[in-house]
Amino acid sequence: MKFVMETLVRSGKILSILMVTCLVGGMLCSIGSLHSLWSSGRLDLGMLGPVLFVAGGAAGLLAITSFRRNCRILIEAIHRMTVQGKLNNLQTDSHEIRPLISAVNDMVEAAERCMSDAVLKMKELEIQLKVATSERQHAQAIIYSISDAVLVTDTFDELVLANESAARTFQFDLEHSRRAPVEDILRDEKLVEMVRDMRQSNSKTGRRIVEHKIKGPGEEKIFKVTLSAVADDNDAPAGVVTVLHDMTREKEVAEMKNDFVSSVSHELRTPLASIKAYVEMLIDGEADDEKTTREFYEVIQNEANRLSRLIDNILNISRIESGLVQINKQPQSLMVILKEALEVIAPQARTKQISLVEQLTPAFYQTSADKDMLYQAVLNLLSNAVKYTPERGTITVQTTVDEAKRKVITRISDTGVGIPPKDLPFVFDKFYRAEANNHMAKGTGLGLSLVKHIIETVHRGRMFVESHVGKGSCFGFELDLSD
Amino acid sequence: MAAKKILVADDESHILHVVSLKLRNAGFEVLTAADGQEALELAQAQRPDLLITDYHMPQLSGLELCQKLKQDPATAGIPTIMLTARGYQLDPKDTQESGIARMLSKPFSPRNLLTAVNEVLLEAAA
Repeated sequence: MKFVMETLVRSGKILSILMVTCLVGGMLCSIGSLHSLWSSGRLDLGMLGPVLFVAGGAAGLLAITSFRRNCRILIEAIHRMTVQGKLNNLQTDSHEIRPLISAVNDMVEAAERCMSDAVLKMKELEIQLKVATSERQHAQAIIYSISDAVLVTDTFDELVLANESAARTFQFDLEHSRRAPVEDILRDEKLVEMVRDMRQSNSKTGRRIVEHKIKGPGEEKIFKVTLSAVADDNDAPAGVVTVLHDMTREKEVAEMKNDFVSSVSHELRTPLASIKAYVEMLIDGEADDEKTTREFYEVIQNEANRLSRLIDNILNISRIESGLVQINKQPQSLMVILKEALEVIAPQARTKQISLVEQLTPAFYQTSADKDMLYQAVLNLLSNAVKYTPERGTITVQTTVDEAKRKVITRISDTGVGIPPKDLPFVFDKFYRAEANNHMAKGTGLGLSLVKHIIETVHRGRMFVESHVGKGSCFGFELDLSD
Repeated sequence: MAAKKILVADDESHILHVVSLKLRNAGFEVLTAADGQEALELAQAQRPDLLITDYHMPQLSGLELCQKLKQDPATAGIPTIMLTARGYQLDPKDTQESGIARMLSKPFSPRNLLTAVNEVLLEAAA
């Protein structure tokens, strides 16, 4: 456009110079002719040519002036469009440049159409970009929120994306690890090999799941590693997504379950073995006198009771653990429950000449409790105290109330054999029995586990134990006072 | 002929009692031990003709007891019947190397135990 205008202006100038030159030449000729006419005294028609030439020159000058004016108007209109940044149709009254104006206007219209198309396309692209960005953010948010470690690598085995869990597992700096080679990140030869193998397999949708052990800074961990090949839009292999699921805890739980089943079956078989053997002896007539027969019956009865207690304990623990147990919490006086349990245990204590000492707070202090369960817990603790206290020992049951914290603390202390420090952290574990005291009493190793469950899981209290070998043990628990 | 001497080791007193009674009624002389260590000492001192031991015992397990007896030439020849409450089988290599002639899993039948005792003693005499 600018070029067109400049050419126009330039050619206009040349034209006007030419015209002016002609006009001046014509005038000089006419003056010369008129002068010779004047001096010769004759004026003929042959003089008309130069006069007409002069007139033509004057008309040309007028035309040039008009052309230049139109050009200026055109330039100003175009300049206005440039300044305003808006394309408008040009108007003109001059019929001389009308075709030019109309051509310029056509061009302006075409440019306008192109521009609006471009704007539309740009808007479309902007929307697509927004969608793509939000999709990417969405995918990243999902990856970041996954508790499993996720690593995405490209066709060069370089890290494209990873989440915090991956950074934690392999201890790398998430922010500065983009484009890092996978072997620098994973630091586990076998895993790096797996990623490479997956990428080199050239598979587009392949998937491989393997169990893999990784030695971390602490202990060895077991992972379920899922490797998936990813393809790009053109179906060409684009990289590998590696997801690591920590199975260590699941494995431990599975192992604990196995141990539990094996411990339960062992504990169930022991009394069952006695019952079976004694019954067979009775059938075979091996008990030849009434005293022996009676003794056999008693053994069978005791072992059957032991079996039933064991099953009750296992069921109670499993019900509490699975949350299936029906809990009936009512405001109860803990001191009343303690007194009832003390009465029940008194005959056993008497046979071993163990003195029972009560140091109880008044009965009006109440706590929200399931009476049967709490009674069971207290009885278990008292029964243990009697079992592990030698003859003529002392068992003290003491309660104290912390009014400020609204807590009641119960302590059952004995002058028994005590628990070795190495065993102390495990006394509440299922089936755990301190080997040193095994000879003192028979037990299932479930009693204390049940007590802890009753206090902590059912009553949201706190269980504690203190013990000194040869001096005695103190098992206690803290419960909230009800308002 | 003097009665055969049998050592019974088990930490379950009821089992110890019932096995002893069954064997005594069958005419055997019976020694009892409540744990592995006591059984080892009794075996070394009394040289029984047969040992019946539980696998799961405090101090010294049944298998450890057998291995210790095997190490001492004086007690190496004592055949053993092992009682086990565990659901698993012992490694056959351990069984052979420790002189374990029979394995009975708990709950067991005293009648079957007596049959096993007679068989093992016959094998040992042969």
